[in-house]
Amino acid sequence: MTPAIAIKDLIKDFRIPGSDARLRAVDGLNLTIEREAIYGLLGPNGSGKSTTIKVLLGLLKASAGNCELFGTSSENASARIRVGYLPEAPYFQRFLTGRELLEYFGCLSGLKRAGANDRIDELLERVGLEDAGDRRVGSYSKGMLQRIGLAQALIADPDLLILDEPTAGVDPIGAADIASLITGLKAEGKTVLLCSHLLSQVEAICDRVAIMSRGRLLCEGTVASLTENTGKDSIRVDGLSKDGREAVETLANEQGGTVSAPSRSLEDLFLELARNTEDPL
Amino acid sequence: MSTTNERLHWSFLRVRVIAGNTFREAVRMKLFLAMTILAIGTLASSFLFQEFNFGSSELKFIADFGFGGMTVFGSALAVIVTAQLFYGEIEHRTALTLLAKPIYRSEFVLGKFLGAWATVACFLGMVTICLVFALWGRETSIMAEYPDQFESGRSVHYVAVIGFSAIQALRIGILCSIVVLFSTYASSSLFAMVMGVLIWIVGQLQHIATEAWTAGDSWLLKGVYAVASFALPNFHLFDVGDQLALGENLPGAIYGKLGLYALLYVSFYLAVAGASFNRREL
Repeated sequence: MTPAIAIKDLIKDFRIPGSDARLRAVDGLNLTIEREAIYGLLGPNGSGKSTTIKVLLGLLKASAGNCELFGTSSENASARIRVGYLPEAPYFQRFLTGRELLEYFGCLSGLKRAGANDRIDELLERVGLEDAGDRRVGSYSKGMLQRIGLAQALIADPDLLILDEPTAGVDPIGAADIASLITGLKAEGKTVLLCSHLLSQVEAICDRVAIMSRGRLLCEGTVASLTENTGKDSIRVDGLSKDGREAVETLANEQGGTVSAPSRSLEDLFLELARNTEDPL
Repeated sequence: MSTTNERLHWSFLRVRVIAGNTFREAVRMKLFLAMTILAIGTLASSFLFQEFNFGSSELKFIADFGFGGMTVFGSALAVIVTAQLFYGEIEHRTALTLLAKPIYRSEFVLGKFLGAWATVACFLGMVTICLVFALWGRETSIMAEYPDQFESGRSVHYVAVIGFSAIQALRIGILCSIVVLFSTYASSSLFAMVMGVLIWIVGQLQHIATEAWTAGDSWLLKGVYAVASFALPNFHLFDVGDQLALGENLPGAIYGKLGLYALLYVSFYLAVAGASFNRREL
């Protein structure tokens, strides 16, 4: 079976205005993303992630190399039939309501008029905007823009979703909801290419991860293989008695180790507190 | 999950969807409302001068005001709205989401053009209706005042007034396609607007180039004028207000010729615009 995305020796140079010099944004990238997986594309700002995505979507032309979506060259508009895209910092037609925006993108994506309203209602509910569907997009908060952006990406039920920073500007509860939605998409048999700076989220939901820097691929593999830390072990024991803890501490000290209380991240604490005090969105 | 790759066919349905959305955006712009009010205001102001004119000359005065409002404000609207509606998609980055959908860029170009043209056509339609009502109302009152001057019936040829509006729609269609062309490679909407205005002015004076081409001696100048005469439309051909204003209509063949002329130029500019936009990186 052809992979969802195949990138071969991709190079993308940008001409610097006013000079003959060129800036290399992507430098010989090779990447294969199999179907029905969540793939994380990580890297600092300017590492070439968004440029790679734009080449995949035909918004930019490759300087060298080629990209294929489900075996079709990304230069061909047909390659985008099965793709949904959420751009980084999504800007949408502010004069449309959320519902009109989904209708518009639905029509462009080949959504049949019959059943379109049901699909729009379903998506608005799925992204938590059922009460804001008739409001103009211009009045939406940043988090709501991300949600309507996700809905428009899903409108034609694509097999591949390319999500560029889907949780940017979204509060931790919203980010957790989006993570849950992405996990659900994988369960539906979809492939997700995810660019995010929320490393904890990427670690939690991605099957494989690639890390880019300065246009080059630094490493690629499963999350487990990349985060494996050989030479250190962690043992978790709940409900330990005082004597039991002393015995474990003694044994750990003899072996050159330590015993300490497990820590939790600030994000975990915020989520826990916020979920206990607010209704889910 | 589908396993076979579908082929995307060029679709007029998608063009229609983009044109419809462009039209919706335009009519929700304050500029559209402002231009319409200005044009109708200009027409209404012609009534202020009614004491200086009597009989049919006053009606011609009103008609000229209306025709002038249509041409001037229609052209301004065409330049500004087309640049904003096309380049605005790039400037506000909404084109990224749109062109990431399974659509051809030529569909986008044609859809944007049709949406912008429909907007200006709608403007022309509203001004035409107001002009027809203004002429009808004034002519009726003048007929009551001076019945002897209207023994042979009404003097205004109302079909000709609508004909003038249709001819201006053709002229403005060419102007919209020129602004679309410049918007496809512009780096700001201001550039597209300035170029649109320049071409509009040059187009109004293009008949001078044609005359120079036929009358000049220098082969080099003749060549330059010849290229300019073919590459740029002659907007002077659409100045038919004097012929149409009162009591006369143009032969049907003129409508046909101007329609074909506009179709050729619009097709040419949009074809170049499509090729230019295909090369553009977003």
